[in-house]
Amino acid sequence: MVLKQWTNAVIGVIDKKLERFDPKWQAANGKGGLRSRYEDKTGIARHREWRGVKDTFVDYTAWLNNLLAMGKMVASAPVPILKGFWEYRWMGSYLGTFAFIDRLFEGYREDELKIAHMNMHCIVSSLTKKIALVLANDKRLGGGRDSDNIVPMDEVMPPLFMTGFPGLIPIPIQTLPEFIICDIDQHLEPYYIDVAESFGLAADVCSRCSAETGVAIDDDFPIVGRAVLTTNMPCNASEATSMFQRRRFGLPDFPVTMAMIHNEPGAHPYSTQVLRDAIAFIQENYGVKYDWEALFARAEHMNEQNRIELEKWELFKTPYSALCGIAESLYRLYSWASVNGQEDQFTKNDRKVLKLMLEAYERKHEPFGGTTRHRAFLWGPSAVYYTDFPTWVQNCWGINIVLNMDSTMGHNMISTTDPEQAIQDLALFSEKGVMRHHAVGGWDNVNAVWEWASKFNCDMVIFNDNVACKGMNGVHALMEEQARDLGFHFIFLEHDLEDCRTISRRDMRNTVNKYMTVVLNEAPLDPTLVDFDDSLAW
Amino acid sequence: MKFAAKLLKSLLITAALLFAGTFTIYYLNLENKLIYKVIYPFLQKHYNSQQRDRRI
Repeated sequence: MVLKQWTNAVIGVIDKKLERFDPKWQAANGKGGLRSRYEDKTGIARHREWRGVKDTFVDYTAWLNNLLAMGKMVASAPVPILKGFWEYRWMGSYLGTFAFIDRLFEGYREDELKIAHMNMHCIVSSLTKKIALVLANDKRLGGGRDSDNIVPMDEVMPPLFMTGFPGLIPIPIQTLPEFIICDIDQHLEPYYIDVAESFGLAADVCSRCSAETGVAIDDDFPIVGRAVLTTNMPCNASEATSMFQRRRFGLPDFPVTMAMIHNEPGAHPYSTQVLRDAIAFIQENYGVKYDWEALFARAEHMNEQNRIELEKWELFKTPYSALCGIAESLYRLYSWASVNGQEDQFTKNDRKVLKLMLEAYERKHEPFGGTTRHRAFLWGPSAVYYTDFPTWVQNCWGINIVLNMDSTMGHNMISTTDPEQAIQDLALFSEKGVMRHHAVGGWDNVNAVWEWASKFNCDMVIFNDNVACKGMNGVHALMEEQARDLGFHFIFLEHDLEDCRTISRRDMRNTVNKYMTVVLNEAPLDPTLVDFDDSLAW
Repeated sequence: MKFAAKLLKSLLITAALLFAGTFTIYYLNLENKLIYKVIYPFLQKHYNSQQRDRRI
């Protein structure tokens, strides 16, 4: 106890001496800020952030941990990994991961920093294992013992139902070359978009779909598995890209066409049957039998993660949630959409994080030093294109992104005893998946944004507007009117998902800047963050 | 006893050197500078020179 007090006293003295190097102190004292340490346009910092002794050490150990996870990935399959770097353009972009993590948690301190890194390390550890697994079994690179046991499936299909095939490995096939990596390197997807457009694909379609098509045309998908599960998700452009990918894979495929307007009770039996048919297709093509007990074991994990998620929501409703912003949003998206109950480490991490959140709540710990001015519900594809947006709005304007739409995906419990009930639960769970639950599942799901915002005590809604999304084009004025009627601050944020050339990150930030200065007449917390050029950054 | 003390001393020195080395890389952002300025451009040059089997 005495030693701890003595240590804290020494740290306190050092922190006081070095506080002028802390960008948050600099911003508060008019001597710089979080952007001051960056090389112009590149997004590369001259040095990392000084956060005080304890928090810098937390950040350093997290960096070291992530470095070790990447080292393990290379050590587990050195030749395929090196071949992968040489073969696939998207692999080169993963080198930006450290810079990506830095910008996600800029300005984070204390409990929120610790929890953010716990969540992030889970993602890094899971993703590096997935990369090693896919490359070690990629037939293009020589293949491996699991090449024919991998089931490539569309990334917007939650893979939990596939755990009933314990000998098979479901891999969301677009996640590695497109979905995750577009967050890490903004310059990657424009290349694939150009490839797609050079083949005559219209330039005004959703850039996510266009980029996926470009990956297929450019022959940049790993070659794994014996059959593929595609889906009808979530719009016409998405269906088109599924068709292009299907042609390129050249494998037998089954389109898992889940019901779109899934709030209608009549939709569930249809979706349930589609899942049954998908299972039968895998049984036939992979020569394996469905094992309900294996499914139940993994469903237990998903159920526990969802129970913990609902407990977290209770804390999100208060000003004392140490989990917020991108640390919440990106983790939930990855753990739900990509992991989906398949990895124990996520359940263990959730338990630890909830414990820390409860401790912070008991202490009435306000994140970001209590600088939050607005609580916002983000209706946006956070993990697509501009993932550090929640961090920037908090650091610059004090807008805390309490929850993002991705976090509201399927949280119904799955039966772990009755196969008939389980498949029905899985259908509902899958209907509440990425995008289907948010933008294309019917008007009620879009309009639910106000209910979500009220439930989480938000005074602001930030509504992302994908300029190429035909489904959402007509929604703008309706949402503006409703925001006015319901009394929410409302920012309609234009972006072009993965094409930074149409609407840049700077343009997106300026939309918020204008609202905050012109409409709300507020001053920034950190003036160095208001307007800067990061066009050459990853 | 003398061996144990020596071992402990070398372990501590190694740990201190490892910490100093890795912390320097971390704090000065050296790995990102190396990747951004050297490795990434080198790989981009390679990717741009690849012949891909482009077709629909």
